[in-house]
Amino acid sequence: MSETEHAKRSPASGSSTETGSGKKRSSAFSRLMDWLENGDEALEQEMEATLSEEDAAPDHSSAVSGEGDERPEHAGKGAETPYNIPYSNVNTPKYGKIIPNSPINKPDNADNRTRSVDFYGKWWYRWASVIICLLVIGLLMAVVTMMPQFGGADTLVDSEVSAYYVEHTLKDTGAVNIVTGIILDYRGFDTLGESHVLFIAVCAVLLMLSIKGEKNEKERLHSAAMEQLFEPKNDVILQSAARILTPIVFVFGLYIVFNGHLSPGGGFSGGAVLGAGLILYQNAFGYEKIERFFTHRTFRAVSVVCLLSYSLMKGYHFFTGANHLENGISAGQPGSIFSAGLLLPLNIVVGGVVACTMYALYTMFRRGEF
Amino acid sequence: MPDTLRLIVFAALLFSGLVIQLTAVLGVNRFRYAMNRIHAAGMGDTLGLLLVALAAVVYTGFDAVTLKILLVVAFLWLTSPVCSHLIGRLIRETDDDFSKEAKEWKR
Repeated sequence: MSETEHAKRSPASGSSTETGSGKKRSSAFSRLMDWLENGDEALEQEMEATLSEEDAAPDHSSAVSGEGDERPEHAGKGAETPYNIPYSNVNTPKYGKIIPNSPINKPDNADNRTRSVDFYGKWWYRWASVIICLLVIGLLMAVVTMMPQFGGADTLVDSEVSAYYVEHTLKDTGAVNIVTGIILDYRGFDTLGESHVLFIAVCAVLLMLSIKGEKNEKERLHSAAMEQLFEPKNDVILQSAARILTPIVFVFGLYIVFNGHLSPGGGFSGGAVLGAGLILYQNAFGYEKIERFFTHRTFRAVSVVCLLSYSLMKGYHFFTGANHLENGISAGQPGSIFSAGLLLPLNIVVGGVVACTMYALYTMFRRGEF
Repeated sequence: MPDTLRLIVFAALLFSGLVIQLTAVLGVNRFRYAMNRIHAAGMGDTLGLLLVALAAVVYTGFDAVTLKILLVVAFLWLTSPVCSHLIGRLIRETDDDFSKEAKEWKR
C-alpha cells in the first residue's frame, strides 16, 4: 500500500517533503533563476545527480525513507551547487529604492529574493495617484448619470436599427434569439473573420512554440524535470472536484451551443465553456488521460472540418446575395431545437472551433507541444 | 411590517457580506506573504459570497431564481477552496523561504 502511495507521488514533492529536515533543498524557482543566470551547467549537474540517484535506487520508497546510502552524497552535492548566489540584479532595482529598515531584508537573509521595495519614489507620487484615481472615478460616475435612462420612453427614438432588428430578425434569419441572429447572420463577415483569426492564432503559436521535432536528449530531460517540478500531479482534492465538475461543465457547454438560437448563448460562449472543461480535465488527470480522446489529430480534424463547413455555408450566403444554403429547416420556434435554419449548425461549428482553440492555446503555452 | 423586517434582514446580510469582502481585500493588499494572502482571499470567496447571495435571496423572495443563486454558491464553494489549495501547494513548491516565512508569521 505504501509503495503505491509513493509511486503516485511525484518524485520532486516526495523528496522535498520526506527529506526536508535533513538537508536544505533549493526550490524550483531558485533553480529556474539560476538556470536563467548561469546557463545550463548547474542545472545539468543537478539533473544528472537526480537521474543517477533514481537509477541507483529505482525503488523509490527505500530512498524516501532516508536510509539509502546515497543520500548524504547527494546532500553534499546539493550544498556545493551554487544555488545561494546573491541575485545581484535584484539588489539594485531599476525603479524604486530598497527600504533600509524593513524587517524582511535583515542581514541573515541577505540573498533573499523577496525584498520590500519602495515603488513610490517621490513623496507626492502616491497622493497624485490617489487624486488621479478619484478624478477618473468622478468623471466616469458623472458620465453614467448623464446617460439616457434605461427603458425610458424617449430613449433611442432616433435609432431605427434596433427596431429593424426586433421586427425582422425572425423572418430574415430564423433566430428566436436576436443576438445570435445578428452575430451569425447580419454580421456574418465579422464572426467568420473571428473564427479564422482564432485558427490563425493557433497556427502562429504552433510555429513559434513548437519544439517537438528538434528536441535532443538534453532538452527532453530538462523539460521532463521542469514538468515534474512545476506540475502538481495526482492531486486528490483537484481530482475529486474535477470528477464532479467536468461532466456538468461539458453538459452545460453543449447546452449553450445547441440551444444558442433559442436562448442566450451561442457558439462562442459555449465553446469557451467546453474549452474550460477540457483544460480542467487535463489539469486534474494529466495528458495521458486526455489523449485517449483529444489529441492533435482530433484538434486538426475538428478545426478544419468546422472551418470548412462554416466557410461553405457563409460563403454561399455572401456570394448569392444573402440567400441561405438550401437546408429544409423551418424558421425558429421557441422550444424546438431543429427550427432555426442554418443557425444551429453554424453555432455547432463555431463552438467546435472555439473549444479546440482554447485548449490548443493552453496546452501549447504549457508544454510546447500538442 | 414583514416588508420592513425583510428589508432589515436583507440589509444586515448584505452589509455583513460586504464587510467580509472588504476584509478580504484589505488582507490581500496588506499581508506580506502569499499564504496569508490566500487565507484572506478564500474567506471572501466563501463566507462573503454566501452572505451576499443570501441577501439576494431575501430581497427577491423565494422562487426559481433562488435555486440558481444557491447553485452559484454551491459551485463557487466547490471550486474556490480547490483553487486556494492548488495555489498553496504551488507556493510551498516554489517558495525558497517558506519555513522562514512561516516562523516569522508565527512569532
